[in-house]
Amino acid sequence: MPEIVLDQLCKSFDGHVAADSLSLRIADGEYVCILGPTGAGKTTCMRMVCGLTRPDSGRVYLDGRDVTDDSVDSRNATMLSQTYALFPHLNVYDNVMFAPRIKGWPEDNSRQIVRSMLHMVHLEQKADWKPDELSGGQQQRIALARALASGSKVLLLDEPLRALDARLRINLRKELRSLAKEMRLTCIHVTHDQDEALEMADKIAVIRKGRIIQFGTPRDVFENPATPFVANFVGRSNTLVGKVVSSGDETVVEMPSGARISARGSDLQAGSDAVVTVKTGFTKLVRASDDQVQGAFLEGTVERVLYEGVTITVEVRVDGIGLISAGLPNRKYDDYSAGDRVGISWIPSKASVFRMPPEGLEEEMRLD
Amino acid sequence: MSLLKRIDELSGSSKVRKAWFSFACAIFLVVIVIPSIFVVTNLVTDWDLVSMVAQDEAIRSTIIGAVANSFSIALIVTVIDILVGLPMAWIMVRKDFSGKKWLDTLLDMPLAFPTAVLGISVVMFWVAPEGVNIPGLGLNLSPYMLLVLLHILFTYPYMVRSLSAILEQIDPNYETAAMTLGASRWTAVRTITIPLFRAGLATGFILCFARSLSETGGTYIALSMMDVKSSFFTGPSFISWLKDTEPGGGALMYSSDEMMGAQILISVVMIVLALILLIVVRRLIARFHFPMDKVWPELGRKVSRGALPKAKDFVTIAFLIVVVLLPAFYIFMYLAEPASDIDYGGLLGSIGISFLVAGVAVVVDILIGIPMAMYIARHKGQKLGQLLDSVVNVPLIIPTTALGVSLALFWGSLGLDSTFALLLVILGHISFTYPLVVRNLVGAIEEVDPAYEEVAMTLGAKPFQAFRKVLFPIVKSAVIAGGILAFTRSLGETGATLAISPTMNTVPVYITNLVNQHAYSEAAMCSIVLILICFVIIFGLRMITNRRSRRNA
Amino acid sequence: MARIKLEHISMRFGDFYAVRDINLDINNGEYVTILGPSGCGKTTLIKIISGIWTPTEGKVFVDGMDVTNVPLEDRDVGYVFQNICLFPHLTLKDNVAYSPRVKDQGEEAMGSLSTEYLSLVNMLSRAGMFPKEISGGEQQKVAIARALASGSKMLMLDEPLSALDARVRVELRYELRRLVKKLGITVVHITHDQEEAMSVSDRIVLMRYGSIAEVGTPLELYRHPKSVFAANFVGETNLLECTVSERTKSGKTRVKLRGGQEVRASKTAFNVGDPVVISVRPEHVYTANDGLRAEVRSVVFMGTYWRVRTIADSRDFVDFNVPADEEVPKEGDVVYLVFNKKAVVVFARPQGGIEEEIKLE
Repeated sequence: MPEIVLDQLCKSFDGHVAADSLSLRIADGEYVCILGPTGAGKTTCMRMVCGLTRPDSGRVYLDGRDVTDDSVDSRNATMLSQTYALFPHLNVYDNVMFAPRIKGWPEDNSRQIVRSMLHMVHLEQKADWKPDELSGGQQQRIALARALASGSKVLLLDEPLRALDARLRINLRKELRSLAKEMRLTCIHVTHDQDEALEMADKIAVIRKGRIIQFGTPRDVFENPATPFVANFVGRSNTLVGKVVSSGDETVVEMPSGARISARGSDLQAGSDAVVTVKTGFTKLVRASDDQVQGAFLEGTVERVLYEGVTITVEVRVDGIGLISAGLPNRKYDDYSAGDRVGISWIPSKASVFRMPPEGLEEEMRLD
Repeated sequence: MSLLKRIDELSGSSKVRKAWFSFACAIFLVVIVIPSIFVVTNLVTDWDLVSMVAQDEAIRSTIIGAVANSFSIALIVTVIDILVGLPMAWIMVRKDFSGKKWLDTLLDMPLAFPTAVLGISVVMFWVAPEGVNIPGLGLNLSPYMLLVLLHILFTYPYMVRSLSAILEQIDPNYETAAMTLGASRWTAVRTITIPLFRAGLATGFILCFARSLSETGGTYIALSMMDVKSSFFTGPSFISWLKDTEPGGGALMYSSDEMMGAQILISVVMIVLALILLIVVRRLIARFHFPMDKVWPELGRKVSRGALPKAKDFVTIAFLIVVVLLPAFYIFMYLAEPASDIDYGGLLGSIGISFLVAGVAVVVDILIGIPMAMYIARHKGQKLGQLLDSVVNVPLIIPTTALGVSLALFWGSLGLDSTFALLLVILGHISFTYPLVVRNLVGAIEEVDPAYEEVAMTLGAKPFQAFRKVLFPIVKSAVIAGGILAFTRSLGETGATLAISPTMNTVPVYITNLVNQHAYSEAAMCSIVLILICFVIIFGLRMITNRRSRRNA
Repeated sequence: MARIKLEHISMRFGDFYAVRDINLDINNGEYVTILGPSGCGKTTLIKIISGIWTPTEGKVFVDGMDVTNVPLEDRDVGYVFQNICLFPHLTLKDNVAYSPRVKDQGEEAMGSLSTEYLSLVNMLSRAGMFPKEISGGEQQKVAIARALASGSKMLMLDEPLSALDARVRVELRYELRRLVKKLGITVVHITHDQEEAMSVSDRIVLMRYGSIAEVGTPLELYRHPKSVFAANFVGETNLLECTVSERTKSGKTRVKLRGGQEVRASKTAFNVGDPVVISVRPEHVYTANDGLRAEVRSVVFMGTYWRVRTIADSRDFVDFNVPADEEVPKEGDVVYLVFNKKAVVVFARPQGGIEEEIKLE
């Protein structure tokens, strides 16, 4: 059964580093999302697994076997491309039949496989349609059926949902994942969409500048980010900068305005510069009229309240710091309006704290 | 089947792939590039002949005059092509109207005419010389003017094609964006779209310039019909004249040494100047800064609306009809004349030779062109890819007559003399048609998402399987289109054929000879037969490809 | 300032109506989003409003003036394209200065306007760069600055964020709204992304099949959708087939699910026995000791909450949310679900079936 191991892969294109001693171990049957901004090296990483890109150094192991020097066709790792790449001159049936024919499987057997794949993606009645007669979502499913019909147990998905409408994308997330699980595939799914990654992945590898900066379960990556960048990239975060007052079980940081905020425990030195990040979804507001405002870390004025569906976003202007956003359940919509004075707080263990990154905060937080 | 399987297996090895690509490169270098410019070395080996000719005052001034004529005609023609081609490209790409398909086909037609035929037709239309009993406009044009008109005919479609190709790639939203910002259409086009054209202008310019520079058959026929073939020269017509054994031909006036020296000299001069020009134009157009500091909003508005844009379209279409289509089709007037005797045996024989040469050339072009085109298309960002991309064009910008001279000298020096005339002519035709096929293929392959092949390979296809089952079916219509272009180009070529072997009776040579004997009516009828055969082939192939692409649609 | 009014706008291509009989009023300074799936006619509509296309029928009014036949370049609308379309041969500064340039407003205006608007989007420090040297998100900010520098009071945003990375998209949409609200201009923004529409708009126009399906504030559309399609398209929801089993005089309604379970809903005007569909959003479904019996199929971490997917005894899939720090059921567990009755919206059962009604493409 396939396990994928990437060992110290390096690759650069004309001086641009796409992989910088990148290592990753993906267990059999795992669904892993490689998440990162454009140009971070996600696609290169995936292409090195299936052999479309050769690493400058490092090894790739599939199923315990070193395949670094093997050709693409012999690796049995199938790619689902962003544009689906359904062969335009073949109909749906022949597209799905492509791999069985290439591999020279017995015709009867192949036909059965193709039928069952088409059945699985609910498109058996479209077998003799041409790809461009199908909608985007249907094309995506056919591309999946074609990949699955090859019998390979490693599926590489290159931003498979990017070309679809937002609403459809959300529906197909569930479908795609459950199919992959049903077929017991080991999947690498490349995406820049953190919601997609959170919802679909067993594990997320956050990649940036050719390096994996965190590899863990969605919950781990969301709640215990490894760097300020991850904190803000996977779920929006409020970012606050100050000097450490004390650390240990709880870290207390003093803002330039003098306000003191708390975050989870750390071993940061008192007096050093620190970055505190709190997910907007974990940021709580208290009305200034409530007693609890005493316990709030910061105080500010509501600038606007946006109704966004499941959540509302309240933007609060805090003097000397700027805008702080709080994502609250939609039932609280009527509780706040522009101009209100509010206190801002959070559970200290939900706030991450980091050493100030050496290249500066702005560079660290860049999203693209 | 088992052979294909064997190749499939072999293609899995990167060594085999590299070897195959190197082989294609080697063939390209040895068969196409080196012979094309080999004549330059004769400057050294045959220096005594060349210097003898160069010191002859009369020959020297004739050569200088001929080269000057060639370059100035080419420049004027290209500039006119750009000016009239731009609005035409706009009509073809950005406008939607009924009959657009017809216009599209009409535009391509002159490309299917052998230039020798165009030469006859154009002279008949504008000048109506002695010995031709079809009434023409009878204008008293100078040979220079007439050649400009003639060269526009077969360069204009190239220009419109290359400009359209670029325009199609420029997102129309740029223009829309400019207009939402308050620019009139005229200002938007002038400040945004035209500057984005840069690369396309360079390609179109070089293509048309080279085509005009190298044209021999039509030019020589036109000069001959106007009775000035021994007094007015272009570079290629001078070489043809040197080999002309008919009365008034140069072969009767010079010794073989003088002929050889003159040929080498003018060929080298034309090749060197053409190569310099290629580099200079590329550089100039890349550096050229389109002025946009000054705008004239009112003027722009006036020019963009009302009668003026309509007038511009009208003039463009009128130009196409009066300067391109009518003169090209004028030869069909002979159909109204009582049929003259045609030596069908001679005609069919020469058609056979022409088709053999063109057919073999096209097949070879495609076979060795595909690996080259794939490499160039997929490695545009790399040095070797860019280098090959430029070098492939070299045979295209070298005047075909000079290329013919060079080729004959190269293979002659290797012992392939005139007894191998057919082989040499085929090799010559491969040289100047190869770039056409490769350019077409590169364009087509570049448009194919590499993901098709990549996905095929991850599905278990060997590289050659991915090529023949996925890439090739997708680009097949482009392969055929490139093939047609090369085929008609080969069919219409006179200069290179004559330069390599004066006895090789291809159709254009056959027609040229008839004209030289003042058998205009017979030449015209032969031309019409040839044109009709060409059309049947072109439309047949088009229908096949169209049906395929419609089925794919 | 700009008020936009559309009257009976239709656009026909041959026999096909891209949009049909659209009537819409957009107020001065309002941020309106036109939301809908691919092919619903939203792009056609924005092109008609901005004057890129002339409608086959109907009229466009700006501030009471009929502008239907005013040419594009005199319309004075800022337009931002999905594929960004910064002029590649011009620097960022020259891009932003393009409008003052073609209007011949002089060097001084070009300098001051480009400086003003580039600094508005925090891109002044890169004024001398070319578009390809900056990232996608930055390019789109410059494109917005370029549109604003034309001095236009109406801004058309044609899927302005869809070419960008998801995370950049989120960041930029907040910035976008902040920016245009500060300037007080009227905005028409088209998108297929309902989350984006919800966070930027004052009002959302939901389109489908070339017609307007529903118009309302984000809150109205989310809480009180008028159709099954809107309920499903704007935010995720659970749709359950049922029949009306009881209705009091005041309109309080009870419905019976397929398994026989009865559920209380908000007030309606349906009659007992009517076939209906109820929509209840995942955040309004809770677990209790008694209620609709359901088996947990999967539990997915969504960041601030868990999404629990169940299959209920009524053969419906029902999703609900559990806050991240609360205890969450496991796959295979049996739970009992109750719905917040105020949030249960009742619709007549669509004739073509629910599947057909909520189809996205």
